[in-house]
Amino acid sequence: MSRENGRLHLWAFLQGIGFFPGGWRDAKATPGAVFHRAYYERVARMVEDARFDAIVFGDQLQGRDAAGRTPGRLAIPTLDPFTLLSVMAGVTSRVGLVATVSTTYNEPAEVAAKFAALNFVSEGRAGWNIVTTAHPNSAWNFGEPELLEKSARYIRAQAFVDAADAFWRAAAGSPMATAEALRNQWFQIDGTLDFPTSPQYRPVLVQAGQSPDGRHFAAKSAEAIFCPAPTIDAGRAFRDDIHERARALGRDPTKMLIMPGLAFILGDTEEEAQRKHRHMLELADDQLCIEYLSESIGFDLTRLPADKPFPLDEICATCEFPPADVRRMLTPAVEAGQTIAEACRDYARKPRGHAIFVGTAEQMADRMETWIDAGACDGFTLQPGFMPSELELFCAHVAPLLQARGLLRREYQGPTLRDHLGCDFQA
Amino acid sequence: MYLSISIDVPARDGTAFAQLGRLADRVEGAAADFVLLARANDGGALEPGRLEAVVTLPWITRRLATPVVVAALPALHSVPFHIARALSAADFLTGGRAGWMPLLGGGARFDAAYGDVYHLPSADAVAKHDDFIRATRALWDSWDQDALIIDKASGAYLDSAKVRRVDYRGPFFKTMGPLNAARPPQGHPLLVRDLDDVAGSAIPADVVLGGVDQVAGGDARGAVRLLKTTAATVAQAEALVREGRAEGLHLMGADAIDLLEALRLRHARRSAPGATARARLGLDMPANPYSKKVTA
Repeated sequence: MSRENGRLHLWAFLQGIGFFPGGWRDAKATPGAVFHRAYYERVARMVEDARFDAIVFGDQLQGRDAAGRTPGRLAIPTLDPFTLLSVMAGVTSRVGLVATVSTTYNEPAEVAAKFAALNFVSEGRAGWNIVTTAHPNSAWNFGEPELLEKSARYIRAQAFVDAADAFWRAAAGSPMATAEALRNQWFQIDGTLDFPTSPQYRPVLVQAGQSPDGRHFAAKSAEAIFCPAPTIDAGRAFRDDIHERARALGRDPTKMLIMPGLAFILGDTEEEAQRKHRHMLELADDQLCIEYLSESIGFDLTRLPADKPFPLDEICATCEFPPADVRRMLTPAVEAGQTIAEACRDYARKPRGHAIFVGTAEQMADRMETWIDAGACDGFTLQPGFMPSELELFCAHVAPLLQARGLLRREYQGPTLRDHLGCDFQA
Repeated sequence: MYLSISIDVPARDGTAFAQLGRLADRVEGAAADFVLLARANDGGALEPGRLEAVVTLPWITRRLATPVVVAALPALHSVPFHIARALSAADFLTGGRAGWMPLLGGGARFDAAYGDVYHLPSADAVAKHDDFIRATRALWDSWDQDALIIDKASGAYLDSAKVRRVDYRGPFFKTMGPLNAARPPQGHPLLVRDLDDVAGSAIPADVVLGGVDQVAGGDARGAVRLLKTTAATVAQAEALVREGRAEGLHLMGADAIDLLEALRLRHARRSAPGATARARLGLDMPANPYSKKVTA
């Protein structure tokens, strides 16, 4: 990796209103703005000015309800990622644009055509966060009774990526793909489409799986990998494991970036940051926290008395997520004698298991540098505590520190997202 | 007189990006009322363009800042949930000037690329096209127009009673909902149809394109009618619009952009930029049959 390109990579994982479920209620939050173009244009320019590699949007394919009741206090929906990134492409010229797209409820032709369009309008800045869809209710939106079994989803994912790649190669004028990529157990494809090619010929491939199947797939295909990593040791263990798997598959492990998630709340002083964090948590009232956990198990807990413990048998009899998983998840709260409200508050405090940094810009830069020096990661997938003000603070105060320390690029070294990775990835 | 044009990128051309940008700027400069992201086949019927239109629309509407912009898509190969979700976002981010044009055209190309399971007896094509539209609209209707509250003080984000599973079950598509996206500003994005592409649909379109006989028929009932014309036939077409047999022209042929610029010199723009597409055309918001407040 060239020195000018920096040895610390930043990706901005953005979701409508930010990381904390109550954040939309903050005085500075602009929850109505997420339905307007100007919001995304402003955020995209900010991220590019701070020299991030890329902007990432997640996606879901399930209705956001639990047992038919859509939460009333959670800030949903988040808008379609392709749409947001396409808008952002129009006001930027360098920053990468990464869309999360499932290989389970799509066809390779459609996904190849959509990424070709995103790569075209951004002139080579598209990325694909490849997911296989884990929420059981997703299947119902596509006319199917239940999800494909997990390891089958990953086998399909690999076949799907291979088939999509055949479309992109054909558009770029490369020799025709092998027949196996297009006709196999999963796909019976007879021809590709005539969409235009663009710089970097196909999106950068990104993966986030944590299970053995997911890690294998990432080690085989991904150019960048998201993961939760609460500690340096956890980060290093994950990175070592992925590198080991990549070597075993004949890949050079230096040609992929490991990018753990990092949520953050910044303050001028540590005390101010802690105060903001407490405020974020207080904004998520009991009713919101109960809805939040309801969505994660597919059971409407709002119907139950909040001051009593979870009735485990009742919940597991009808929850939409696998009952064994739900039982394992809720049992510690029952054993600790927690009420539903208490357990849900705890759950909503640490959304999705990511590390949360709370402190000053200087402390955050120190933490990031320590992790990089320890070999725990190649950079961070940043999740602003809430939007857009925490992202503004990061770009104004932390990014310049990282640049001054020679960790973060001052200028982009090329026009494509793959240029920003600095991995010289050869497909 | 409404003026409409379709745009796409040239085949295998390294300057396609720059060309598309320049073309979009000319179309914006000529104040087109409608821009279809589509291409015409040799017979003059529209097909989905080379560039996937649903992803292109949000980008190109920065340059096409005033017209109604319509994404052509393969009706028999697209998924209602994905289309409903993407066009909800597109309609919000364009201030309600997004349209969609589900097409049968180009079907053989898409059949080959999507795979064997998409092959369909041609007799079923219109039925699947209609089912696709119904399923997609049912997902938009899984939210009431006024479901969002967004009140910071009380913590009420939306009204749970105004979002529901629709459990749509048609002959070709099943989808549960609710959509994970709000009902678009237009209720449903504008539905545009080329009568050379599909005839005999049971679902009325908001805007139809066709020849003078086609737009006089039942397939055009209630719709804004655009006559398809080239430079060679434009004088007659203008006369037909003056006689009230259509409301505008869809300009075709290699020099369609020149024709648009020439016509704009003679005809002031009729649609008022700024309003949603439905408001510009005087079309009602579509009723929501799933809403508890619906009035017949």
